[in-house]
Amino acid sequence: MAIAQVSSGAIGPDKDRKWGAPKWVLAAPSIVWYAAFFVVPIVFIVLYSFGTKNAASTSGVPVDLGSFSLQNYQDAFSDVFFKTFRATIRIAVTATVLCSLIGLPVAYFLAFKVSEKWRAILLAMIIVPSFTSFLIRTLAWRIPLAPNGTLSKWLQDWGVLDGPIQLLETQTAVQIALVYNYLGFMILPLFVALDRIEPGLREASKDLGAGRLTTFMRVTFPLAGPGIAAGVLLTFIPMCGDFVTATVLGGADGNMIGAMIDSQFKGAQDWPLGSAMAVMMIGAVLLVLGIGYVVVSIVRLVLRRMRSVTLPEVAR
Amino acid sequence: MTKRPAPISILAPESFRAKLSRRALFQMGGAAAGLAVLAACGSDDEGDSSGSAGTTGGTSASTPEGSVLGDYSNVVNSASGNLAMYTWGDYNDPEIVGALAESTLGVSMKVDYYASNEDLIVKLEASQGTSGFDIVVPTGAYLPQMIQKGLLQKLDMSKIPNFVNVDPAYTSRDWDPNNEYSICKNWGSTGWMWNKTLTGVDSISTWQEFIDVAMNQASGQTAVLDTAPNVAGMYFWANGINWTTEEAADLDAYEAFIVDEFAQHIKAFDSYPSTKIAEGAYTLAMAWNGDARQAFVRIADAGGDPSEWAWALGAPATEIWMDTYCIATGAPNPDAAHAWINWLLTPEVSIKDLNYHGYNSGMKNIDTLLAELIPDIVDADMIFFSDEQVASMQTGAVNSAQERLVDILNKVKAKAAG
Repeated sequence: MAIAQVSSGAIGPDKDRKWGAPKWVLAAPSIVWYAAFFVVPIVFIVLYSFGTKNAASTSGVPVDLGSFSLQNYQDAFSDVFFKTFRATIRIAVTATVLCSLIGLPVAYFLAFKVSEKWRAILLAMIIVPSFTSFLIRTLAWRIPLAPNGTLSKWLQDWGVLDGPIQLLETQTAVQIALVYNYLGFMILPLFVALDRIEPGLREASKDLGAGRLTTFMRVTFPLAGPGIAAGVLLTFIPMCGDFVTATVLGGADGNMIGAMIDSQFKGAQDWPLGSAMAVMMIGAVLLVLGIGYVVVSIVRLVLRRMRSVTLPEVAR
Repeated sequence: MTKRPAPISILAPESFRAKLSRRALFQMGGAAAGLAVLAACGSDDEGDSSGSAGTTGGTSASTPEGSVLGDYSNVVNSASGNLAMYTWGDYNDPEIVGALAESTLGVSMKVDYYASNEDLIVKLEASQGTSGFDIVVPTGAYLPQMIQKGLLQKLDMSKIPNFVNVDPAYTSRDWDPNNEYSICKNWGSTGWMWNKTLTGVDSISTWQEFIDVAMNQASGQTAVLDTAPNVAGMYFWANGINWTTEEAADLDAYEAFIVDEFAQHIKAFDSYPSTKIAEGAYTLAMAWNGDARQAFVRIADAGGDPSEWAWALGAPATEIWMDTYCIATGAPNPDAAHAWINWLLTPEVSIKDLNYHGYNSGMKNIDTLLAELIPDIVDADMIFFSDEQVASMQTGAVNSAQERLVDILNKVKAKAAG
């Protein structure tokens, strides 16, 4: 870790600059963009979540903000809705864990085991599918996996299956499709993190007598930490809000919170309840990530304690 | 067209053929005679001969003496520019919204789809007249709400002379008594389809039997429509309760049954189950009659056996819904919208569209019209119903129970996700 910090002091002092604008000017376009299209809408969603539904409103938004109400949060916490909520978090956590379990070996292989020539080709093979529309990739699943589809018929003809494939319209389908759809977003940051590890560090570990496993566990894996964190963030957060996968493949069983929020806004025209659910979802995602961070920190702390080596005091 | 040149066969793409209007050819001036022959090949498809408002379609010229088509108004007004329609999925013959609209009316259409009336209302309401859609297709019962919110503009009936073709049974309905805002697109009803082989059930003739099969032989393989009133209708019709009830006791009983006893048997909430029926996803599905009719075609296309499947109309009572053509407030091209709606009311276009979507389009004397234009129409019994069946159909209403019904449906969905 110390290696990465060494180079950061190399940038020259401010005196050299002729143009006196503050540094954050470069960030201004994105600040304005996010303020207008992220912060403002979120503020409105939070406001709506305390309002009451007014379907007869002619203002364009069926929400009454006259009276401050916590009723929406009470409704959102009710048993029926909370179930979908829990299911969503469970599916997203499982999919994230699966993504990292599948993604880590692939990234490791790409970073350390493949020749330069093949690496670019293999990386492209991982990235190119992500260029295809998310929706089309998900819809495409319906064709081979249909109970009356070709694959289903072949498997039955060969005696692999007794009956047609019963995968579509289930939670399992959503679970597998989520892993498939987001795997690339896990592999890439992992690969970047692993690829940046100085080969010398791993060689030093070997020279000092560590086996393959020990080297991986105590050198490579900890150094890949930031990549794992980035991969988890890039997969877990969008998975929680994923709406397409559940709608296309899920059926009644694979309902996720994104679809439920959508049905509140559209079907029920209940924007306040939908907003409250959305706010709760954002909160829950942050909470899960926070818990994850604390757990990882504790594990690291404990490991550091256990592995710490106390050098004997040398008398001067 | 006193003398038609003998037709010749050319190999041209359909889209090109449709663009070959006589007008375009005349504009070429001294075009070779061979081109005129070519143009005649396309003449069956074209509707406009001079392009000015109020001309009759070119098709009537070839109508034989004594044809029933002569009893109908056949005005085709031309328009120009783009026309955007927001409608239900798979609800018009693709040729009508594509090449034919372009060649006959001169408008280029863009079509977008919604899954429920609420989706449509949210879209129009939130955009406050800037949605960019010209034509929208709400269900009758939702019109009063939409008119009150100012989402629709009044129709200019002088631009829709073919309105006289509509059967009076489908005009002046409660939701728009003077047809100021809406014209019947088509109407339909609700029933179910089931796979006789996989369920082992030969007959499902009432909503109560539908519920029984869904909870037993087809448990976990049943799809219901993704609209709150239809799911509620299943229970109310099975139990002899008025579909538009606002009684709290009825709604409580419905909620208790559907959430606690029925939800776990549902595989999916699907308003257009035909595609997935063909995939084999369900063995029992609640469906609108036109979609169910398409399902038989799709099952065959997918290599399945349509004879394993059966359709029944809901009984002892079921719904009648009517979808209507309306023009949205702030429509960018109202002229084209009027011309298009008017064109859809010409008998041949109306019947061509009907043959695609499988819903009664409400033309007057439709039996005679159909007998002349498409005598061999398939599954006609899924489009046209007997008088007793029509008498058993109830009109829906958007009333004080609506919100509760949507709430209940959401609970059912959450429960089914268990």
